[in-house]
Amino acid sequence: MTKSQYVRANYQVNATPQFHVLSEHQCENIYYGALEALERTGAEVHSRTALEIFRQGGCRVDGNRVRFPTRLVERAVSSTPSRVVISDRHGHRSMFLEGSNVYYGPGPTNTYTLDPFTGERRRPKKSDTVRAGIVCDALPNIAYAMDNGTPMDVTPTLADVHAFQALLENTVKPIIHWGFGIEQYQDIVEMAAAVAGGLAELQRNPFIVLYSESSPPLRHSEEAIDKAIFAAKTDIPVIYTPCTFAGGVAPATMAGSLVISVADFLVGLVAGQLVREGASFIMGGLISTMDMSSSILSYGATELSLLSAGLTDVARHMKIPMFSTGGCSDSKVIDVQTGIEAAFSILIAGLSGASIVHDCNYMEYGATGSLELMVMDDEIIGMVKRILEGIEVDDEHLAVDVIDAVGPGGHFLGEMHTMAHFRDFWAPTLINRLRYDGWKAEGSKTMGQRIREKTQNIINTHKPEKLPDEVLRQIQTVVDRAEAREAAKKISK
Amino acid sequence: MSNYFEDLAHSVIAGQQDRVKQLTQQALDAGTDPVEIINQGLISGMNVVGARFKVGQMFVPEVLMSARAMNGGMELVKPLLVGQELPSAGKVVLGTVKGDLHDIGKNLVGMMLESAGFTVVNLGVDAGPQKFLQAIKEHKPGVIGMSALLTTTMLSMKDTIEVLKEEGLRNKVKVIVGGAPISQDFADEIGADGFAPDAASATDLCKKLLA
Repeated sequence: MTKSQYVRANYQVNATPQFHVLSEHQCENIYYGALEALERTGAEVHSRTALEIFRQGGCRVDGNRVRFPTRLVERAVSSTPSRVVISDRHGHRSMFLEGSNVYYGPGPTNTYTLDPFTGERRRPKKSDTVRAGIVCDALPNIAYAMDNGTPMDVTPTLADVHAFQALLENTVKPIIHWGFGIEQYQDIVEMAAAVAGGLAELQRNPFIVLYSESSPPLRHSEEAIDKAIFAAKTDIPVIYTPCTFAGGVAPATMAGSLVISVADFLVGLVAGQLVREGASFIMGGLISTMDMSSSILSYGATELSLLSAGLTDVARHMKIPMFSTGGCSDSKVIDVQTGIEAAFSILIAGLSGASIVHDCNYMEYGATGSLELMVMDDEIIGMVKRILEGIEVDDEHLAVDVIDAVGPGGHFLGEMHTMAHFRDFWAPTLINRLRYDGWKAEGSKTMGQRIREKTQNIINTHKPEKLPDEVLRQIQTVVDRAEAREAAKKISK
Repeated sequence: MSNYFEDLAHSVIAGQQDRVKQLTQQALDAGTDPVEIINQGLISGMNVVGARFKVGQMFVPEVLMSARAMNGGMELVKPLLVGQELPSAGKVVLGTVKGDLHDIGKNLVGMMLESAGFTVVNLGVDAGPQKFLQAIKEHKPGVIGMSALLTTTMLSMKDTIEVLKEEGLRNKVKVIVGGAPISQDFADEIGADGFAPDAASATDLCKKLLA
């Protein structure tokens, strides 16, 4: 999206409307709460590599328990870049994660996918990840690609590698991607480097962001923290994101949940900054409530929006880019509930000014990925972006001269001024504003039908830019080698 | 005496552990049969909790508090049951599978099972086939429950089932599976006896399998 113009010297212009749910003092208190939790309670770390890094870095290590002196955490926060720029597959710098710029896109690793042709809810296949790449590539308001479901028709321990190949070959947009462990991350970085023209090029203009989830409260698996360390060592930006749900793995209070979220992010951050001072980190991320009847982590809860906006405020206070959540739903099909939950969360995330807003494809409390939802969200994001553009106020836009020329009782349809500006109105592509007869003539279609048609149309007709054959061969070589490695492991077992 | 039981059941429903302990002790001091205290007071209160939870009148944290209150009473009654069989709906061994540290869902299942009168042996996280095998030999449960959050670790469920077959124990225990990536299809595929999508239905499933 266009750069936010939230602050302009001498003349305060609210060119981008924003809201904050926390004051500076409240942000500070939450940050202090996290520092206290890390110094007093500490975190459980299940990686020898990480434990050694923490020990050498000056943390208090007792078995798996690591306690973090405040000065160490503060140093890590201050050495983290306040901005991260992500490029597209061509190396063109396209996502400026700084200030209050907002970029929307989907989320990863859903267990099921909603087939946009059959409507069936089923296990994702690699061909579904190809579709995800194509749809992300085609939608103007989706800034990056993520996989929309873990492919289950490939070697299970290489689902991440296969998903990355499918995305890499089907979109020029930046890719945010997860991995099971370090070996797979090495494969993924190697594939990306083949596209960028070498690792140094990839580091200079990264078009991938790595992604790692810890397990709150205050528990970090070997894979999770080692992946953050790997990203820092390899000098590739990483999102470290605890999956925090209030009342379950965090206190039932909003502020307490924010403390857990910030503290768990900081554990990954400290590890990364100890390995490479100045490594690019983006603060995740997923924060909502546990539904106390069904025990799901709710993706449609209003608290998801409220908490995410709060966490974004804290991230801004810490001067670290934020990975937020929106465009998601607990509904099982595309219906009215989906519309309400998706629109609400996209708007709030936009107004909060989070750098990246992910999960614009998550249905059924995250269990199911839906390309149709992503297509619907693309429309909502368009609406929200228009709101974020605000109202311009200068002589040209005040148009007092035009008002005078038209005079009382006239109309503005024939004015050059109208010609110059009416295209600033947001124009829908899925929302229907036809008069009744026009809508009937077009088949009396519901929003759901129009979304499905557009999704199918994109999959059938959109042709993403192909990678050169030589690069495709290099990518395939990495995948084949990974397959051989996993096969060898199976035999040795 | 029926008032004791009513009070006791109410205190279980309200999740008041101290009150439950106090009433249980009073009942014992008055010479009430321990088994009666369990069945007519503690369990009968918990049955109401289970029913209310199902219809959305009570919520997970309240069920947990009630279960704790009930267990507070149980602790006092248990030592007096010498020679008598402790009323139990059955024994269940639970664990999060190898390579997986995610255990909130599994712990919720354990809590629900206990509140329904099951005896639960919780193996914690990162439990591989050998750990389950050992637990089966030691505790002789009616059911083992495996939990996983990750698509990679869920594959270890099959390994455990294979090991049980090799050891000739597969027919001696029911195997149930659950967790975010698990489905009925997956359970069928790996040869499990059952799958439950959430903690409350896991309890129903165990009851059904042990009936």
